[in-house]
Amino acid sequence: MKKRGKGIACIFYGTGYGNGFPDVSRAYAELQPDGKVAIYTGATEVGQGAKTALSQIPAEVLGLSVDDIIFINEDTSITPDAGTAAATRQTYNTGNAIKMAAEELRNELIKIAVKELELNSDIGLKMKDGKIFLEIYPDKCITFSQIAAMQEEPLRKFAVFTAQTVQIDPETGQGAPYWPYTFSACAVEVEVDTETGKVEVIRGAHAQDVGRAVNPTLIEGQMDGGFAMAMGYVIYEDLGLENGKIWNNKLSSYIIPTSMDMPEIQNIIVEDPENTAPYGAKGIGEPVMISVGPAILNAIYDAVGVRMTEIPVTPAKLLKAIREKEQKEA
Amino acid sequence: MKTISLKVNGKPYTVEVEEDMRLLDLLRDKLGFTGVKEGCAEGECGACSVIMDGNLVTSCLVMAFQADGKEIITIEGLQSEDGTLHPIQQAFLDEGAVQCGFCTPAMVLAAKALLDKNPNPTDEQIKEGISGNLCRCTGYAKIVSAVKKAAEYLNQGGK
Amino acid sequence: MDFNVIGKSVIRVDGLAKVTGKAIYPQDIYMDNMLFGKTLRSSVPHAYFTLDTSKAEKIEGVVKIFTAKDVPGHNSHGVLFKDHEVLCEKKVRRIGDPIAFVVAVSEKIAAEAIEAIEVKYEEIPAVFDPVEAMKDEIKVHDGKSNIIYHYKLRKGNIEEGFAQSDVIVENVYNTSMVEHAFLQPEAGVSYVEDDGTIVVCAATQYPHFDQLEIAEAMGVPAEKVKVINPAVGGAFGGREDITLQIHLAMAAVYTGRPVKAVYSREESFYAHSKRHPEIIKIKTGANKEGKLLALEAEIIADTGAYASWAINVTRKSGIHVTGPYVIPNVKVDAYAVYTNNPFCGAMRGFGATQVPIATEQQMDILAEKLNISPVEIRLKNAFTKGSQTANGQTLTDSVPLVDCITKAAKAIGMF
Repeated sequence: MKKRGKGIACIFYGTGYGNGFPDVSRAYAELQPDGKVAIYTGATEVGQGAKTALSQIPAEVLGLSVDDIIFINEDTSITPDAGTAAATRQTYNTGNAIKMAAEELRNELIKIAVKELELNSDIGLKMKDGKIFLEIYPDKCITFSQIAAMQEEPLRKFAVFTAQTVQIDPETGQGAPYWPYTFSACAVEVEVDTETGKVEVIRGAHAQDVGRAVNPTLIEGQMDGGFAMAMGYVIYEDLGLENGKIWNNKLSSYIIPTSMDMPEIQNIIVEDPENTAPYGAKGIGEPVMISVGPAILNAIYDAVGVRMTEIPVTPAKLLKAIREKEQKEA
Repeated sequence: MKTISLKVNGKPYTVEVEEDMRLLDLLRDKLGFTGVKEGCAEGECGACSVIMDGNLVTSCLVMAFQADGKEIITIEGLQSEDGTLHPIQQAFLDEGAVQCGFCTPAMVLAAKALLDKNPNPTDEQIKEGISGNLCRCTGYAKIVSAVKKAAEYLNQGGK
Repeated sequence: MDFNVIGKSVIRVDGLAKVTGKAIYPQDIYMDNMLFGKTLRSSVPHAYFTLDTSKAEKIEGVVKIFTAKDVPGHNSHGVLFKDHEVLCEKKVRRIGDPIAFVVAVSEKIAAEAIEAIEVKYEEIPAVFDPVEAMKDEIKVHDGKSNIIYHYKLRKGNIEEGFAQSDVIVENVYNTSMVEHAFLQPEAGVSYVEDDGTIVVCAATQYPHFDQLEIAEAMGVPAEKVKVINPAVGGAFGGREDITLQIHLAMAAVYTGRPVKAVYSREESFYAHSKRHPEIIKIKTGANKEGKLLALEAEIIADTGAYASWAINVTRKSGIHVTGPYVIPNVKVDAYAVYTNNPFCGAMRGFGATQVPIATEQQMDILAEKLNISPVEIRLKNAFTKGSQTANGQTLTDSVPLVDCITKAAKAIGMF
């Protein structure tokens, strides 16, 4: 028989290295001869979209499009250390460092514009599409490339961002181990085949706090991927570990979700800007997978009335639990 | 050693191959088509998929000599010479179907193999069409919408 | 606030290279005069060993077989403790420990040489159960307790909290060791530039840290090492620890030629970390209104043979085991333990992923006993702006948890 059930779970997730460890990101923003701006930072693009999201931030600061940002992050000899691409920290930490560097560059550009345009102050100056101009009299205008041409050395600004956390007391755990925290909730419906023990996730709704969405498509992509990875974690993936040996060390035996396994997922982006974050944006790379797994487990219980305290819930394990329950009731 | 002739992306090649050389190695190591990726060497992940005489094959399971006389399409053969992307490539970008990108070339080819045979697939058919290609990043949702979008672009005569 | 670029679904800047197959992952780098490296790994979990490489060295095309004695600087690496050996010297602590690195003119010859190396193991008792390991009867690292971290949280009065509770639920949950399974197996190329700078191209999550680890193992200043991080085929935490970077650097410096290595999928499974499996013993109490009054948890995280990020992962589990709820009385003990299992480290969620498997099922069990809905019990206890965590931290800003719960619940028809 096929039985359906629904389940929900919610979580919080602390961003960054945490626990008082100096969590530092560094970045340079450098004006190029053609008026584009290069960002130098050691933040790795692992597929999560760091290069894109972290280009959008300086583009916003400088009134440029992302095409005018040259993002350089591949070479340690020319980029400053921006910490690891982990702990969901790059949007928040390196995002802040890049924003600060871009703001410094912006201030410098404005200062130069005031001087070159022979203005009394920076009041009313706008920065857009590589131009700095006075809105009330647009003839007072200078381009980024004109400013670049005046420099002997490229205009280059550096910024460091260090996150704030407080080491916990070793006896009581009291402190402020992470900041910021990110929240999410997931609700799912599953169908359990009581003859085979197979669990199928029918649909899901996944609400993720993002602070502010820098790039909604990238966020949805992370949410979809997190959902799939969580499905693998709770119902498919088994290393076959035995006395230190991994028996399932191939993709033919270590089963990760395929396109056929994935349900319809409704991604709900929840915005509530965090005041210490760049434009309010918090990282989401890890939290997007966390609430999905327990939601599935709760839905399995709702469907067939068995509590699965051990993952992965393979068909064999679930079938055994269902049979035990039936025997107990009989 | 054996001499074989094949076409890759429309261009003829005559090459000497060792008996135990896989098509994957021929394409990557000898001919330089590094858009073909190796992810598992057992035909499970699909990252090495190429189109051979119209069918999607995992090039890690095809021996090089078996490609004698065949026509192969790799990801390098999809973009026009003027730089215009193939509608499927464009759809993958537009729909945000790319993350780490390692599965992407083969995923695009899987979509091509599907759409060449079925220009108007349903979501289920798309999922089936790409089910031999694993992706660990995207959860497949945006890949499915990209294939749908690609079908639209192609039916409108390209984008 | 009006934005021009923030909030827009800009097409990803690395997308074009990826859809055209032009993105360069480390395995896509081919250089003239390039050699190929392969790693010999232990086949037993706990043993002393000796190597005889003489037969392998005689194979034509083998350029050099590196063992522990060839590591020029410190034969160690690790993100927290330097407890990994670049190449094990005399003892292996898990299946998959690297013991030799063969460099040859082709991958095929390197593989042949790996087979020809004779390894004599003198096996010693191993421990695979973290609870057993906590007794320290078998030590994974000589002279060191297997318990490498103990996180403690004490808030309020746990006995009183349970005494006041109308319902109490107690269970033990077991989470599993799992694999990142990023699609791109580890690969890299190393070469030496004219000025002596060692260049390592490899897919990594943290190039600047790799630079330091390579420099220490090579015995050179950090500025003599350059890490190039081309396209990375997924990571999820599995590319935080060193795998082939130092082996390649050694080989490039010794041979003066570019050296490449690409792991097979099977080797990839052993080469990088796994997610810590955890045993989570948890007791949760609430009053009849559904308010949480007490939570007590003991967590044992198996880090396998090496620490990697075990301390931070276990701390993160301890901190997040409360769930996102206000609980006045909390007691948590979380332990990270060495065993002879594959080593565990970072994986998406980093300790915060394991514990909700327990916490969130506890919430549903309590709700059922109290005859309220799963959504209701969560809303009654959820963090809001101004809430204090069990660690005593005030959540001052951006706490839209209730919004997340209600929106997800409504969408699926649970609210």
